[in-house]
Amino acid sequence: MKSLQIAATGMAAQQMRVDVISNNIANMSTAAYRPRIAEFSDLAYQQMLTPGTITSQTGNTVPAGIQLGTGVRPSTVSMQITQGALRETGAELDLAIDGAGFLEVTLPSGETAYTRDGKLNRSAEGEVVTMDGYPLADGIVIPADARRISVSRDGEVVAYFDNETEGQQIGTISLVRFINEKGLEAIGDNMFRETQASGAPNRLVPGTDGVGAIRQGYLEDSGVDVVKEISDLIEAQRGYELNSKVITASDEMLAATTRLR
Amino acid sequence: MSNAVYASLSRQHGLIQEMQVVANNLANSSTTGYKTDRAVFAEYIVPTGTGSPSLSMGGLAGHAFEFEQGGLSFTGSQFDLAIQGEGFFVVQTEQGPRLTRAGHFLLSDQGLLVDPMGNNVLNPGGGPIAVPPEATQIAIGADGSISANGEAIGQVGIVLAAGDLLRDTNTHFVAPDGFAASDRSTIVQGALEQSNVKPVLEVARMIDVHRAYEAGQSLLEQEDRRLTQLISSVRER
Repeated sequence: MKSLQIAATGMAAQQMRVDVISNNIANMSTAAYRPRIAEFSDLAYQQMLTPGTITSQTGNTVPAGIQLGTGVRPSTVSMQITQGALRETGAELDLAIDGAGFLEVTLPSGETAYTRDGKLNRSAEGEVVTMDGYPLADGIVIPADARRISVSRDGEVVAYFDNETEGQQIGTISLVRFINEKGLEAIGDNMFRETQASGAPNRLVPGTDGVGAIRQGYLEDSGVDVVKEISDLIEAQRGYELNSKVITASDEMLAATTRLR
Repeated sequence: MSNAVYASLSRQHGLIQEMQVVANNLANSSTTGYKTDRAVFAEYIVPTGTGSPSLSMGGLAGHAFEFEQGGLSFTGSQFDLAIQGEGFFVVQTEQGPRLTRAGHFLLSDQGLLVDPMGNNVLNPGGGPIAVPPEATQIAIGADGSISANGEAIGQVGIVLAAGDLLRDTNTHFVAPDGFAASDRSTIVQGALEQSNVKPVLEVARMIDVHRAYEAGQSLLEQEDRRLTQLISSVRER
C-alpha cells in the first residue's frame, strides 16, 4: 500500500513545520530574530497512463491519463524579511538597523559573520564587541577616558571627552547588504555567514542604497508574530492528525485483505 | 474462479489506487500552490468467452485536477506572489519551461528572480527577471509589472496552458501543447496561494474508499464460502 508511505511523508512534513514554528516561538524575544517559514512541494508522480497516449486508429488520445502522486517533501525553510519593531533602550551602544543591512563581525577564527543584533558592548580593551565578545569588523576602539559616545545615522562614531566640548571622530560603522539575504547561512548566536546563494557582501555607508540607517539607543525586536505562529501550529497539528488517519485507514484495508485467507 | 471474484478484484485494485490519490492530497494539504487530484473510474468490458455475455469491470481510467482557487495566506514578503484567477507563473528548469502556481520566489546571487529550487522565473518574453541590487522597495502590480523605487524594471509573466496539463514534481505542471501569455489574471504581492485540498472532503472520501474496500472484501469472502459449499455439496452426492 503506497498510501502508507505517502501519509508518512505528510506526517514528516507537518512534524518539520511544527519544529520550525516552535523555533520561531522560542525566539519571540530574541533581538532582531527573523521568523522562518517552511515551504513544501509535491514529490515525483508515478506515470501509469501518459496523457496523449493513442487509444484508437482514428487518433483518439487519452485526455488526462493517470498520474499517481507519491507524497510531499520540504522544499525550503526561508527567512521572512521583516523589519522588527524598534524598541528604545537608551543605551549608547545599542544600535538598531532601520533597513536591510547587517553589522559585520569578526569571529575568533578570523572568519567574518553578519548580524542584525545591535546589542553591543565595550571590551576590557575598549573595543566595540557583540554580546559574545566578537569585535565589529570596523575595529572601533573607544578611548578609556571618553565620557560619552554618539553614533550618527550614517555610522560615524564620535567620542566626547570631559575637558572638550567638540567630539572626536574615532571610527565609522559600515553596514553590509546582500542581494539575496534569504540565502545567508544561520550559524546561531544571531549571526549569519555568507554563502554562494547569498551573493557577495556589499559594504555600504549606513542610510544609503536601502542598507538602512543606524539608530543609536534602540534595539530591533524579534519579527515573530505570535498570533500567526499559533494559528500555523494548529494547522500543522491538524494536518499531522489527518495524515495519521490515512495510515489507520490504509492499515485497516490491509487487515481486511489478510483476513481473506 | 468465478466472474464475481474478477470483477470485485478490479474494483479493489482501483480502490487502493484511489487511496493513494487521497493520501497524496492530504500529504500536500500544506503545499503552496498544490491542486487537488481526483481519480476517475470507468467501466471496461472484458469478453468472457464464446456464447456467454461479456463482463463489466471498473478500473482507474484517468484523473482530473481541481483548479479551484486556493486560499491566500499573507506573508508580507515582497517576492511572495499569488495569482488570483486563472494562469500560471513560468519557471525555466533543466527539462524545459514549467508552469506553477507556487509563487514563493527569491533572488539569486546574480540578482535574478528564482524559485526555491533556483530556477529562473520568466517574464512574458521568456527571459529571466533581474532585480537591481540597490533596489529597496519592490512593488509588483496586479498585472505582474515590477517597479523598484518607483522605476519599472520588468514584468512577471502569467500564462495560460493551451491544452491539458501534466503534473511534475515541485508543484510544477508541464504543458505539452504549449502556453500563451494571459492578461486575465491578477497578481497579489506579499501572499501565497495555499493548497486547495479540502481536508473534510478528503477524509470523507477516505472513509468512503475504506468502507467500499471492506465491502469488496466481504463479497470476496462470501463468494469463497459459496464455492466451498458448492464443492462440498457436489462431493456429498
